[in-house]
Amino acid sequence: MATIKVQDLRKEFVTDTSTVVAIENVSFEVGGHEFVSVVGPSGCGKSTLLNILSGIESATRGTVDITEGDRKAKLGYVFQSARLLPWRSVIDNLLFVQSSRGPQVRARCERYLDMVQLSHTAKQYPGQLSGGMQQRVGIARAFSIEPDLLLMDEPFSHLDAITARSLRRELHVMWQETGKTVLFVTHDVSEAVELSTRIIMLAKGGRLVADLPVELPFPRDPASDAVALARADLLRRFESLDLLAT
Amino acid sequence: MQTKLRLRPPPVSAAPGGDERRRVERRRRWLWRIAGYVFFISLWQFTSSFLVADFIVPPPAVILAEMWDIIASGQVWVHFGATLRTIAIGFAVAFALGSATGLLMGRSRWWEAFLSDWVMATLTTPGLIFALVTAMIFGLGPTGPIVAVIVTSFSYIAVNVVEGVKAVPRDLTDMARSFGRSQPQILRHVYLPFLAPYFFTATRYGFSIAWKIATLAEVIVGTAGIGFMMRQKFQEFSMQGFLAWVLLFFAFALFLERVVLQRQMKHVLRWRPEVAR
Ligand SMILES: Nc1ncnc2c1ncn2[C@@H]1O[C@H](COP(=O)(O)OP(=O)(O)O)[C@@H](O)[C@H]1O
Ligand SMILES: [Mg+2]
Repeated sequence: MATIKVQDLRKEFVTDTSTVVAIENVSFEVGGHEFVSVVGPSGCGKSTLLNILSGIESATRGTVDITEGDRKAKLGYVFQSARLLPWRSVIDNLLFVQSSRGPQVRARCERYLDMVQLSHTAKQYPGQLSGGMQQRVGIARAFSIEPDLLLMDEPFSHLDAITARSLRRELHVMWQETGKTVLFVTHDVSEAVELSTRIIMLAKGGRLVADLPVELPFPRDPASDAVALARADLLRRFESLDLLAT
Repeated sequence: MQTKLRLRPPPVSAAPGGDERRRVERRRRWLWRIAGYVFFISLWQFTSSFLVADFIVPPPAVILAEMWDIIASGQVWVHFGATLRTIAIGFAVAFALGSATGLLMGRSRWWEAFLSDWVMATLTTPGLIFALVTAMIFGLGPTGPIVAVIVTSFSYIAVNVVEGVKAVPRDLTDMARSFGRSQPQILRHVYLPFLAPYFFTATRYGFSIAWKIATLAEVIVGTAGIGFMMRQKFQEFSMQGFLAWVLLFFAFALFLERVVLQRQMKHVLRWRPEVAR
């Protein structure tokens, strides 16, 4: 369980023709066994935020601290597309991101592959799997390094509704069983309400506009009234932002 | 009331499966290839029998006999050996230099600006110029051809590798970085496998250039080798000897391309769905 401290974060992309502000003055803290969703429309800087947290991008201003006790936390990243190495078998894709070798490490990778029900594909190449299966391999890969913090960037948005729903359930169970901290990015308000303990709302221009706890008991039935009410509330908040903006 | 879903059994005479279709397709391609050989050799036979004198276009059988003589006398090993040595050394150096240059130029704008015009210049310069220049510098012997091979095939490799390096997916390198992989690990496990097809293309072109330039340089300064023998036969005005060496050369290049290079490629690229099946 990791602690995230983000303070006064700002990110500009300078291109030949313009400067885009992707993140504007964002601060928040996450700690412990939380499942935090970052929700907002496309282009509001969600992926940029995760890329800064994971070290792929650097911030223009502000600080990011991700710790586990008194050391740097270990991160697992699940991307919007699976991002598997097509020239390595499924199990070798998991082994690629391990920091050590050996029979226990391999056994651990096999265990997480089993957790997403893909043991039988271990020796296959990613090109031989369906999109949903590849995404599950991506999830297993992130879990397999036993990270303190899981970053997930719209991991189910490319999948059909049926597969996405069963993967959401799987993810929820894995989160409860492993006790990780999860930072989950989505543009899908229902998904956020179904999974999270807390929701951070980002608006266009990368501004943090609300940070709300979700106090509904698990398991949450996406068709229940309580979930529908929470979803409607969030959508109303986004609508009122749009009204203010125009 | 209950309705029952009835499944019909599959038809007995199923359409030919994928394997069968591929076999038919492969057989047909071979037939066409053989037809091509038959056609061009007949055309050659016809030309030599009815159109021009034998000493200008000798009939295929005569050339075949000459080729057999070259093989039986052991000359083929001496001269193929000499040419192969030139190509092996030259190409190995060119490959190392070209790959390094390509990686450098593909990953850094500064190095690209520094080198690109020079690489382009060597790419567009006709091989004959390098063959002549190295002949003047190194004189008779094997050094000139080796240097000519290095200079000409180097740029083909560099240009292909640059293109490959620029196409390496950011998605995958970012993924590797976010999981804390080191630069050498990323180079070895992301860059190199991605670049494999580019290396093959580079090798293919570079190699065919290397062959041509090696024989050309040998024609000018060689003291042994296929090109050297071509010069001899040319000086003796022995068309049949000349063509026999040319055809042996052709057969060998074809063998390298079809058997050695393509096999390797299939093996290295076996992860690709279209190759695996
Ligand atoms: N590498 C980049 N160069 C320039 N602009 C970028 C880059 N990455 C993202 N942006 C811009 O930053 C904004 C936020 O992008 P992103 O974080 O991908 O949004 P989201 O993930 O919420 O859809 C967008 O306007 C996008 O065009
Ligand atoms: Mg995004």
